[in-house]
Parts: sequence; C-alpha cells; structure tokens
Amino acid sequence: MNKDKRPLLEVKDLTTYFHTEDGLVKAVDGISYEVFPGETLGIVGESGCGKSVNALSIMRLLESNADVGGSISFEGQSLPELSERKMRGIRGNDIAMIFQEPMTALNPVFTVGNQIEEAIILHQNKSQDEAHKMAIDMLRKVGIPEPTKRVDEYPHELSGGMRQRAMIAMALSCNPRVLIADEPTTALDVTIQAQILELMKSLQDEYGMSIIMITHDLGVIAEVADRVVVMYAGKVVEYADAVTLFKNPKHPYTWGLLNAIPRLDIEQDTLYNIPGVVPDPLHFPEGCKFNTRCTFCEERCKKEEPELIEVEKNHYARCFFIEKVEKEKAKTKAGENL
Amino acid sequence: MSVKKTEFKRMIRRYFKIPTNVLGTLLLIIFIIIAILAPVICPPKAGADPFKIPIATWSAAPVAPTADHPFGIIGGRDIFYGVIWGTRSAFKIGLVVSLISALIGVVVGSISSYFGGWVDEIMMRITDIFMSIPFLVAAMIMTTILGKGLDKVMVALIIFGWMRVARLIRGNILQAKSEQYVLAAKALGIPDWKIIVKHILPNTIFPVLVQVSMRIGSLVITAAALSFLGVGAEPGYADWGTILSYSRNWMTELDKSWFAILYPGTAMVLFVLAWNLVGDGLRDTFDPKMK
Repeated sequence: MNKDKRPLLEVKDLTTYFHTEDGLVKAVDGISYEVFPGETLGIVGESGCGKSVNALSIMRLLESNADVGGSISFEGQSLPELSERKMRGIRGNDIAMIFQEPMTALNPVFTVGNQIEEAIILHQNKSQDEAHKMAIDMLRKVGIPEPTKRVDEYPHELSGGMRQRAMIAMALSCNPRVLIADEPTTALDVTIQAQILELMKSLQDEYGMSIIMITHDLGVIAEVADRVVVMYAGKVVEYADAVTLFKNPKHPYTWGLLNAIPRLDIEQDTLYNIPGVVPDPLHFPEGCKFNTRCTFCEERCKKEEPELIEVEKNHYARCFFIEKVEKEKAKTKAGENL
Repeated sequence: MSVKKTEFKRMIRRYFKIPTNVLGTLLLIIFIIIAILAPVICPPKAGADPFKIPIATWSAAPVAPTADHPFGIIGGRDIFYGVIWGTRSAFKIGLVVSLISALIGVVVGSISSYFGGWVDEIMMRITDIFMSIPFLVAAMIMTTILGKGLDKVMVALIIFGWMRVARLIRGNILQAKSEQYVLAAKALGIPDWKIIVKHILPNTIFPVLVQVSMRIGSLVITAAALSFLGVGAEPGYADWGTILSYSRNWMTELDKSWFAILYPGTAMVLFVLAWNLVGDGLRDTFDPKMK
C-alpha cells in the first residue's frame, strides 16, 4: 500500500539481549519492520514477548545491561550510532513515546502544564510564556475541558483518562514524526479506551505523524492499525496489513489469538484459549519458539526454527505448516455455517 | 506566576489549619524574636564578647532568682543572660550543623545512587563505617582532638551527622529512578542532570527536609550533652548546655539549684518541640505523596 513511499523508520534485525546473572535473555531476537509516514503500525503480542523492549531499544532508553544489535534507521540516520546528545534531540522532538500507566508516568510534584512546557522549552526554544500558551492549546486539542484551569493542576487532581490525554499532549507538544504508544489504553476502562483511540486517530490526521501502537489487545489493533506485526518470544511470527491479518491469519499463534476473542454472533460454551503460557525467556524451547503451545506441532518444529517467509504478497509468517492452519480455518468456517 | 502564588497560599492555609502547626510556628517565632532582640533584652558590656556570660558574683554557690537576676545565678554567671543569648547559640548550632550535614548527605547520596556500581559500593561502605561509630563517642573524640569551643562542636557534629541523610536520599533516588515519570522524562529528551535536579530530587527531598527540621532540635540537645560532659563550649559561653553543666556539681541539692536546670531545660524542651511540630507540619503540607 505504501510501497511507493520511503519508510520513515526502518528496523532491521533488531536484537536486544540482557546479560543477567542467570544467563542471556534474548528479549528481542532479530525483528525487522518499517514504519511509513502517516501510517499506524500495530505491534501485538502477549506480555513478555518483547514489545516494550523493542520500543525502548529504538529510543535507546534501556539500562546498560542491555545489548542492542541490528540497525534502526530514522530518516536515514542510524539511531544506535548517534551521540547521546543528538539522541536526546530526537527523543520527544522527532520520536515521542506514551506509556501504559497514566497514573505513574506524570511527575506528581509538578503541574501538568509545567511538564508539557518542559519539552517545548527544551526542543523549540520558546519562552516560558509562549510555552505556557502552547501547553494550554495542546490540552485543548486533546480534549481536556477547561484547559486554562487544568494546566495548573497536579496529576493527582486529574482522572485516569484525563492523565492519559495529558500524556498524549506532552508527547505531541513538539509535533513528533513518530509516536510510540506503549499500551496506551490498557490501564483505562473501555469507554475511555475508545475515546483515547479516537483522539489519537484524529490527531494523527491533523499532524500526519506515524504511530507505533504496542498492545496485547487485538481490538485496539483492529481499531487503529494499518499494518500489524505479531510478536512471539522476541520474534516476528506474522507481519501483514491489518485487514489481511484479521481475515486470513497464517500463523497458528495469530489464528489462536483471533479465536480467543469472544464472539457475540455465535453460541459459545467455553471460550477458546491458547494452552500454556509464554515460555521463560531464559529457557526458550529448541526449534520453533511456539512449539510448546501449538496444536499443529510436529517433530520438525521441535528441531528447526522456521524462517519468516512471504506467504502471499506483503504477508509474512513464520511456520512450516501453514496449510494445517488453513484446513482448521476451513473447518471452523464450516462449523459456523451449521 | 499568579497561579503559583495562589497554590502557595493554599499550602500555607492548609498548614495553619492544624493547631499543632500553629503552636510550633508560634514557639519558633518567639525564639527567633528572642534571638534577634538578645542585645536589647540583655545588653552585653561594651567591648566584651556578647556570647560570654558576664560574671555576676565570685561565689561558686548558686544564688536563687532575684529582681536583678530573674533566673538566678550559677557558677557566678547570670542564668537569664545565658538563656537569652543561648537562643542565638541554639539557632547557630541547629541551622548550621543540620543544613551543612544535610547538604553533604544529599551530595553523597545522589552521587552514590546515580552512578551506582562500585562508586555506590565504596561510598556506602564509607557511610557504614561512619555510622558504626557511636555518635556521642565520636563527637567527644573529635572535640578532644579539635579542642574546646562551640565551632569545634559544630564541626564534630557535621562530620558525624550526614550519613542518615545520605542513606535516605540514596534509597529514595533509587526508588524514584525506576518510576515511569523518569522514563517518560527521558523519552522527552530531557538531559540527565535536569532529570535528577528537577524530577528526582523534588520527589525525594521532602523526607530530608523533615529530617533536617527535626534534627535542628535534637542537635541542640546533643550539643548540650557535650557541653554537659565538659567537651562542648568553653566555660561561661552563652549556651543552654553550658549552664546545665554548671548545675552538675549541685545535682544532689536540687532545692538550691533547681533554677539552673529548670530555665535552660525548659528553653531546650520548647525549642526541640517547636522544630518537631514544624517539621511534622511541613511534611504533612508539602509532601505531595501525603495529599
């Protein structure tokens, strides 16, 4: 869809290993994707699959025990090679980030306005007064009522939804090119969730930024994403545009995730779930990382790891037995028609 | 700016809503007024060091309060003069010692927790060594080495008084470092030093401020204890502890020397009480986590 454009952010073979006392943890193990201008890339996966570590690797915000490899290029600049000073100029200004917990991501001792102004003053050389006005404008844009009053309030005086709006205002205050949203709606209730997603979409239209939406919630992905990366145990297991992924999942994991969504249109006695849990990152299984939980697992899956292959145009999956998933899909479809 | 002012006003109002805060502040104000007005209340002799209590009589026996010497005389010194000018000494000891030692503690604690690793390890072990020496013993040895005098006592108290603050601030910074707002600030491209000064310290400094204000009171007691033991201020110095030390020889005859304990003792108790009440009040009002 966007193949004619050049990617804004290109991540190639990104690896993030942590050296811990218990051994090497391969949190992110060779993932590649691109983000095009103005699009939303969804990164989806269960807790502990490396979604957030991937984001922090891009921003270079990990502690020193993290070992980041591979290439990350933003508008032609290689981020891992930039000096810390230059990287600081990119953080907040070109690539901004919003976090999962609006309760803790704002500093409790400063007013909301003060925290928004800080970034504006830092990156845009504005005076305190100008920055204050811009902060009020930003708060108005993210839909906070009475922005002139709220700007001088402390985070504890705002509700969860309002704090997340304030976080978004903070992240967007310098008009970044890429916004990385790390589970921005997970801590919010469903109504507020929908409002925040709506807000992000409308701000995206207004500013034309790209969004990397990191979430474990396929509903959120369906709502906002143009293309989707499905991650499992630090690897990309499927990569396609959102419509294709939802209509025609190829990897057993994606298929399982989609099946696990409760449906209102058919009668279900028990909800489907993927058996087991994400394996401990210190002891990933041999072969395909998903083999411990996969219903289609065979001997081969326990010995060698499948490559990420292009199963159709622009649709990649990492599985030896895609045809089995196809069969199973056909069965459930037939079942539905009964 | 106006908004910040109203916020400040709101805090002040909240502070004065609580009766004990009002009491503490009032006591403190009275002490401040006494300290300021000391030369008016008890004018020192021209040319003499005002912190030397003038000798009222050459007899060593205590003299009960009279109109001329309202708090009586002990060791030949006028107790009233000592108590009034002693207020100045008390403020001097309390403020200078607690502020300087807190500053050392904040610097040590910040460096230690920020750099971590072996820097942290070495600095914390040094802190442990200082902590392992009993405070009073250490202070006594220091004053023996440095010699007598209130300024020497202050130096000794500073040298052995910074460790708690260092540990407190280190622990708090380590905790604050992992808070998400610190990560969020980093993600906005804010430089490290600014994150420490602006985002981490304000979240960690309140317990230190409370400790400082409470310590001001107790330091006066410690200094008095040293004076009482004879390793503090030189004899005749206008300091509550020095007056108490004169009464040491008359302890078995309280009926003759009660005033030498009562007046400086009361001053000391009220001074400590004032700082403790103010410290508590400050914590309750200004600590954002207490709201």
